[in-house]
Amino acid sequence: MSLVPLGAFVAVSAALFFIGLGGVLVRRNAVVILMCVELMLNAANLALVAFSRRYGLVDERGSVFVVFIFVIAAAEVAVGLAIILALYRNRPTVDVDEVTEMKG
Amino acid sequence: MFDLLEPLLFAILALTLLGSAALVVLAGRITTSALFMAFAFLNMAGMFVLLGAETIAAFQVLIYVGAITVLILYGVMFTPQSARPYGLFFQRQTPVGALIAALAALPALVFSFGFHDNGAALPKGNDLAKIATSVFSDFAFPFEIASVLLLAAMVGAIALVRRQE
Repeated sequence: MSLVPLGAFVAVSAALFFIGLGGVLVRRNAVVILMCVELMLNAANLALVAFSRRYGLVDERGSVFVVFIFVIAAAEVAVGLAIILALYRNRPTVDVDEVTEMKG
Repeated sequence: MFDLLEPLLFAILALTLLGSAALVVLAGRITTSALFMAFAFLNMAGMFVLLGAETIAAFQVLIYVGAITVLILYGVMFTPQSARPYGLFFQRQTPVGALIAALAALPALVFSFGFHDNGAALPKGNDLAKIATSVFSDFAFPFEIASVLLLAAMVGAIALVRRQE
């Protein structure tokens, strides 16, 4: 019936999550870090939808969680970009390793 | 013949999804990263269609490919390119960060192949009514909280970028 196994979807989700994690750890530009966080959130969405569709429950709880994650991702990217713009106004860089005002 | 269509589509979608996600991380120019991120989101919408969650796929295209990509592109336009766009291979934390991510990814990938269908997959499509029923009955309170969160994010974003007169 369903030819693509559930594990394949979960594996793609895990791979995407760790690609995003690698980007967050490796990249220096704050906007790119925000993009990688969005990729990680989307990977979680894929896992939730896959389990929701394939694990044989009658309702769509996983998909409802995904709808809420959409809301939170939108709020997060709006506030994150606002913080980056405010930071850029204070000093002309968006590289996270050069923002050292709060370093102890 | 049509039995092979679904795995073939899955393979194409998975390869382009992971490839464009890797290019988001590896691309030197920020605009390139943003456009590959939009492409990755489109491929993810295809994954949702393959799983039969058509409503979620539509939301994905509307919110991620539409709104979030445009917002990120605005951020790219408002902030300058770094003077060191290819700082990727010369920064100190790159090897350590990549090593940590790879080490964490290996057991997770092995573990994720251990999940199997329990033979009770939902029929494809027609999920809007169920999602709507859940959102407005069981999840009515989180729904209200989400609307408050969106309002707070909007007010916070305006307050953060407003110039002090």
